[in-house]
Amino acid sequence: MLGKLDWSAIPFDQPIPLIAGAVVLIAILAVLIWVVAKGHLPYLWHEWITSVDHKRIGVMYILLASVMLLRGGSDAIMMRIQQAVAYQSQGYLPPEHYNQIFSAHGTIMIFFVAMPFVIGLMNLVVPLQLGVRDVAFPTLNSVGFWLTATGALLVNLSLVIGEFARTGWLAFPPLSELSYSPGVGVDYYAWSLQISGVGTLVAGINLVTTVLKLRTKGMNYLRMPMFCWTTLASNLLIVAAFPILTATLAMLLLDRYLGFHFFTNEAGGNVMMFMNLIWAWGHPEVYILVLPAFGIFSEVVSTFSGKALFGYRSMVLATMAICVVSFMVWLHHFFTMGAGPDVNAIFGIASMIIAIPTGVKIYNWLFTMYGGRIRFETPMLWSVGFMVTFIVGGLTGVLLAVPPADFMLHNSMFLVAHFHNVIIGGVLFGAFAGFEYWFPKAFGFRLDERWGKAGFWFTFFGFFITFVPLYIAGMLGMTRRMQHYDVAAWRPWMIVAAVGMAVLTIGVICQIVQLVVSIRNREALRDRTGDPWDGRSLEWATSSPPPVFNFAFNPDVRGEDAYWDIKASAKQQSVDADRPEYQDIEMPRNSPTGFVCAFFATLMGFALIWHIWWMVILGGLGAWATFVVFAWRDHDEYVIPAEEVAAIDRVNVEERRGLVSMAGTV
Amino acid sequence: MSDQTHMPAGHDLAPGDEEQHSVGARILGYVVGLVLALLLTATSFFIAGTDLVWQPSIPVALIVLAIAQMGVHLVFFLHITTGPDNTNNVLALAFGLLVVFLVVGGSVWIMAHLNANMPPMDQIMMRQ
Repeated sequence: MLGKLDWSAIPFDQPIPLIAGAVVLIAILAVLIWVVAKGHLPYLWHEWITSVDHKRIGVMYILLASVMLLRGGSDAIMMRIQQAVAYQSQGYLPPEHYNQIFSAHGTIMIFFVAMPFVIGLMNLVVPLQLGVRDVAFPTLNSVGFWLTATGALLVNLSLVIGEFARTGWLAFPPLSELSYSPGVGVDYYAWSLQISGVGTLVAGINLVTTVLKLRTKGMNYLRMPMFCWTTLASNLLIVAAFPILTATLAMLLLDRYLGFHFFTNEAGGNVMMFMNLIWAWGHPEVYILVLPAFGIFSEVVSTFSGKALFGYRSMVLATMAICVVSFMVWLHHFFTMGAGPDVNAIFGIASMIIAIPTGVKIYNWLFTMYGGRIRFETPMLWSVGFMVTFIVGGLTGVLLAVPPADFMLHNSMFLVAHFHNVIIGGVLFGAFAGFEYWFPKAFGFRLDERWGKAGFWFTFFGFFITFVPLYIAGMLGMTRRMQHYDVAAWRPWMIVAAVGMAVLTIGVICQIVQLVVSIRNREALRDRTGDPWDGRSLEWATSSPPPVFNFAFNPDVRGEDAYWDIKASAKQQSVDADRPEYQDIEMPRNSPTGFVCAFFATLMGFALIWHIWWMVILGGLGAWATFVVFAWRDHDEYVIPAEEVAAIDRVNVEERRGLVSMAGTV
Repeated sequence: MSDQTHMPAGHDLAPGDEEQHSVGARILGYVVGLVLALLLTATSFFIAGTDLVWQPSIPVALIVLAIAQMGVHLVFFLHITTGPDNTNNVLALAFGLLVVFLVVGGSVWIMAHLNANMPPMDQIMMRQ
């Protein structure tokens, strides 16, 4: 009846996950009770859960990413404490628990923090920057988000029901095969990634189509803001790379469920094929994450320097070059596999070549700042901090791209320090810069400057105090994923790294406090004009938060930095003058399709993990039926009458009048 | 990447979308495609079993026929053309082909060199 599931699945003997799970469960229940008791449930259902508005979906993506960041961060804290104390002792985490923690940390941080954060920002901002009313497929967008949430839910469920993978974040066979990992951990890993992978693919198709097909009048390719270009490149990579991940995990699952031998040691399987395939996805994946961050820095640097982006065309070229070359370097993740000097040399050189377009970008940002009137507000701090940090990470990356050096450093703490250096310094700093920068657009009030800056400085220094010791420990020969060790020389560096982790944690707390303080002082921080930073692209041309239809009129774009031009010409003619006749606007109806579909996907995923076959069929049928019901809908749009559009728009035009006289002077 | 935004809306066709042809013309297109596809399939089966051609050429012939089959599907069923309304589709196809070429070609190349750092088998045997 319940497959492999019984009471032994709940880890009663392990207090840490059980207490953590209980606390989270109580917190979720408390929030639910509060929502129901206060009568917010209908609002939540109609305005958020079933919403197909790209701004709302973007916000929900970022919320999911933030919550998961806390989960992944807790794992990181536990690992740093373990390595600080586990010198010639077992520490406080038994090996099987420690192995689950580093696996969950990697899986969560990449798939459920970095991915939803950048996809959320792209969802929120790209249609606004393109001057359009929605993404290409609004309901599909909602489906994509909820499937990602399903994946995150399943990963966290493994904390209290069963176990998580002990294989590392990429579940390399033969360790991840049935003979060495007989439990449900790898199944939790694989099925949550399969389900959320569908969500990511859907989001990728949606955003590619949006950028290619939905641009406002005059917004040709070479007038698009840089963030739209990096979104296009990143999502092209999603569409091209994620099917590889899906296929690879499908083969692993066939091995585990149906006795196939793709990656087993025996019967003709080849474990090396798994490394090859997973990194053929895995390397484009890191560019999927970092390219949108590059786009965010481009927007932020140009806005806060008060200058157009330096070398726009070279930036576009660099982005597209990275998009293609990112598919030519994946072997550098397994130089030591033994493919020989010819293969290693070619991939090593390709890995060094990809640093060139990245370098072009760094110079472009520096020259954008050169001679500009720089305002060091929080988003700009994150951007400058990124440039410093990312250059260090990039240089250690070029070092690792030299195959002989890689033979020394492979799987060492040096590698761990390197990829945290580029992912935290690149993706996470970018996500935070974008969060600070576009928060006023999403909610209509700014974030508190002081707490934001404190958060930046603690995170910045915390990062270096944590990861420079890991570089050194790597040089001293420490390998990654060690539950305990006996080498005295590593000990001091592990303690320094733990101290750094504490500083990083203070940074995170500052950011949480910032959010709370800002919500409390929201009236004082209110942005009525919709353009709090003296912005340059079209998302600042509408109110904050934007109305559901984004723009009352489709903006007419005549050059790069579309909104800057509009402001400049409005100032010259001292008008914001005659708005043409308002017209009815058709918008897509909200739909519970995404939520219901993800509900059944959760059932199905859980049942697959625990071999509850009747529930698999139930979940599959449910998800399919949801799709059929959606496909048969009659009314998919509603009309916002012209008077309502006019009423909403006039308020913003009034507020903006004062702004026009200020344009370009800040 | 030419500027397409000044074209009338909806002019750029997605794969599977139809231009405004009459029903007869469309059916003719599909029938021609079907006949070609069947012909290529039948030829593949025939070539695989025949001894009329030089045997080592058979795999090459099968690959050529398979690529031709893909071409027929793309042109007659997915309506990829070289017209200006199809720029995005052709670019998407080119990008897709490039990625497939890189990943499949790269994988074959990598896996073929897997044992480069292993001592030859007879040496291992001699040591024992």
